[in-house]
Amino acid sequence: MPYHTFECSKMLPDREKHAVIKGPGEDITSALPLGNLNTVPGTITERGCAYCGAKHVIGTPMKDVIHMSHGPMGCTYDTWQTKRYISDNDNYQLKYTFATDMKEKHVVFGAEKMLKQNIHEAFDAFPNINRMTLYQTCASALIGDDMDAIAKQVMKERPGVDIFVCNAPGFGGTSQTGGHHKINIAWINNKVGTVEPVIKSKYTINYVGDYNIQGDCEIMTDFFNRMGIQVISMFTGNGSYDDLRAMHRADLNVLECARSAEYICNELRVRYGTPRLDIDGFGFDLLAESLMKVAMFFGDDCVEKAKAIIDEEVARWKPELDWYAKRLKGKKICLWPGGSKLWHWAHVIEEEMGVKVVSVYSKFGHQGDFEKGIARCSEGALAIDDPNELEALEAMKMLKPDCILTGMRPGEVAKKIGIPYLNIHAYHNGPYKGFEGWVRLARDLYNAIYSPVMNLAAIDISKDDFDTDTGFKTRTMLSDPGVPREELHTENMYTGKMDIVTPLRGKKYDFPAPEPKADAVV
Amino acid sequence: MEMKERIAILENYIMQRCLWQFHSRAWDRENQNNGILGITKTMLLGEQPDISTPELKCYWVDAKCLADGFKTKFPWVNEMGKEDIAVMMDGLKERIDYVTIHGSLNEELTVKLY
Repeated sequence: MPYHTFECSKMLPDREKHAVIKGPGEDITSALPLGNLNTVPGTITERGCAYCGAKHVIGTPMKDVIHMSHGPMGCTYDTWQTKRYISDNDNYQLKYTFATDMKEKHVVFGAEKMLKQNIHEAFDAFPNINRMTLYQTCASALIGDDMDAIAKQVMKERPGVDIFVCNAPGFGGTSQTGGHHKINIAWINNKVGTVEPVIKSKYTINYVGDYNIQGDCEIMTDFFNRMGIQVISMFTGNGSYDDLRAMHRADLNVLECARSAEYICNELRVRYGTPRLDIDGFGFDLLAESLMKVAMFFGDDCVEKAKAIIDEEVARWKPELDWYAKRLKGKKICLWPGGSKLWHWAHVIEEEMGVKVVSVYSKFGHQGDFEKGIARCSEGALAIDDPNELEALEAMKMLKPDCILTGMRPGEVAKKIGIPYLNIHAYHNGPYKGFEGWVRLARDLYNAIYSPVMNLAAIDISKDDFDTDTGFKTRTMLSDPGVPREELHTENMYTGKMDIVTPLRGKKYDFPAPEPKADAVV
Repeated sequence: MEMKERIAILENYIMQRCLWQFHSRAWDRENQNNGILGITKTMLLGEQPDISTPELKCYWVDAKCLADGFKTKFPWVNEMGKEDIAVMMDGLKERIDYVTIHGSLNEELTVKLY
């Protein structure tokens, strides 16, 4: 087994099976790290907690909901509330966040009464919102507050109100992945099947495992709608609470992030017979094939529309992608996302942008995620499970990448040692899904690597002896020497607009008329 | 080209492009591999697959893309006789089963619940 031992972790023998290098001729039966295990004591993990995974990854992107944490105030902000899961209702779920502000006295005397008061106050303050998600935290779990009972009382007292309770305290799992699991199962157990949707099309799907980071989900649903497919629910980016209660009525579950949302697709398949189709919404080639797969499930009319969309999008955006690919060729990147992007991107980013993925990691991924990622990686890639800051630093010094694609916390560490980072959690200038989105990612990656500021940032300006008339290079001087002269002006760099999501809102679509369902009530 | 080499090329194609072989449990992977590779084989043999249920249709979607991809990326597939295709696809199925199930190091494959 090609395990990799970090110098900084030699005193932590339990870490030795958490990193592998994919050597020549090796596959996932010989190169696979451990995953989804409790963090090894002594290492400083960068993982989130289960509450965070439930609320701030999956619950909060729901747009028409009061999201309330039953616990100390800090729980609701100091985790991932800074994610950019936007919505088409003026970002209600981003603008307002609620916590019951539990204190010592509540821990001693109980907090149920205070919880009920908070729920009423929140509904009173926002009379147009009559849906709520209620999240247990470590504190409320440990004192045993019966949140379900309180929610039932409030629903009885306020007809028309519906409340979802998520019992996923921070300690409920190895990391945020424990929360993903709990909220998936709680939602299907308690809410799916409680609303009947208005069916507008012959073809219906749930689009699952996309959280609408900077509009990703809206880009994809636009494609589906143009193909004549009604998206009954989005789980959960830009998703509506009541739409998600109607997931049982879709013909197909189209799944993106299997790490965070495969559970509900699997359960929908077992309980309602709805098939699960895993797709890639990133990269020209894989996205085109994914749209075709969804279309083929429904029929020839859908296929024709999908082909037209793909032809139009590729003709429009491929030349601009190629402009960046020529300048990114051979650049080394570390693909250090949360979960699914390590396998969504591992191969296609090499194929289509010319970069080399020298490392993949995940803080909360399971071994199944590493199987997918390592299968798609090239030889020589270093795969790390639940890395700590010192290991990431050592990996960067060893691999000498040109850019780190990751989140804010490890990204800031990279910047300290002079390596640019691209935020692929909340994104720099997304959306990154869709054909245009993939060009935007290439543009952001290019900007990260070739920004002249990276050279200037390495100069210690507190000293008097640095040169003030040298050291500055333009992006062209930095990026173009490797491009053949005759190809310098054959394509353009990105020409799209800054906001490509707002124009999609309010678009009208033509759907083929729905057919009566066999189990419909007559 | 040796049959083993052909199988290795197709295996690599699946592992780099596809996601269907990586469902989270062993029994689930068995169903996926049987369903999708079974239909792919049927299609490459020029026969009509059964797509009479949503589940089978979903397998067919992945199988159709796979069969088309094999034929486009590896033109030698189009020149093979039916007997050789059957042997190749059986060998490929055996290999994918090994990599994703029987030889897999994934310790979660045998967990009973999702």
